[in-house]
Amino acid sequence: MDEHEKLLPIANVGRIMKQILPPTAKISKESKETMNECASEFISFVTGEASAKCRNDNRKTINGDDICWALASLGFDDCSNAVVRYLNKSREFERGRAAASSSAANQNKQDYVVAGSSNCSERR
Amino acid sequence: MRQAGMYSGILSGGGISGRTGPHLLPLARIKKIMKKSSVDVKMISGEAPLVFSKACELFIEELTKRSWNMTIHGKRRTLHKEDVASAVATTDVFDFLIDLVHPNGNDVNEDDHVPEN
Repeated sequence: MDEHEKLLPIANVGRIMKQILPPTAKISKESKETMNECASEFISFVTGEASAKCRNDNRKTINGDDICWALASLGFDDCSNAVVRYLNKSREFERGRAAASSSAANQNKQDYVVAGSSNCSERR
Repeated sequence: MRQAGMYSGILSGGGISGRTGPHLLPLARIKKIMKKSSVDVKMISGEAPLVFSKACELFIEELTKRSWNMTIHGKRRTLHKEDVASAVATTDVFDFLIDLVHPNGNDVNEDDHVPEN
């Protein structure tokens, strides 16, 4: 499979896995590699769906909203909700930066705190 | 690609995976994987890899948690590839991964024992 050429760094994947597991858990090298392949497949799968939507809408550029839409469309509901919040926060940040750099206006920016868990699954 | 520093405030200041600081996953690599997914993928906004960095993190966490459940069920403390395969087989939303974790897809005549539980 040529997907081996385009994988995420295994160290990053391993770190995310380790984060979510109990401290005494061990992770085999093979399972990290498998997880890495699954992550790449996930990206391809969701991108394909987002790309199809763009084509349908006669748009050329896949944007963040398309990814959010694709996630929901493919059944990753919790994931979709979490990344929508994340994306909105990121956009607020960008707007704040743009405003700050374009003028020296006193701007009261509220701190947006993301309430609740941003994990895909329900709380333990 | 924009520099990671621009977004570190978002990632570490809002309680979203703040425990690991700035980007968990490299945006340029994500973008490459996206481009490779189809010839139809031509232009990708700057936001899209950022969204994926979060989505992938959540995806890996979810699949890892479910895989670990399999490990525990087998009374083991080491997460193995087979646990990932079992988690995929028992979770509908991960159906797209079936062929990836059960590499018998080339020969359709072969019996593929997938636990149905």
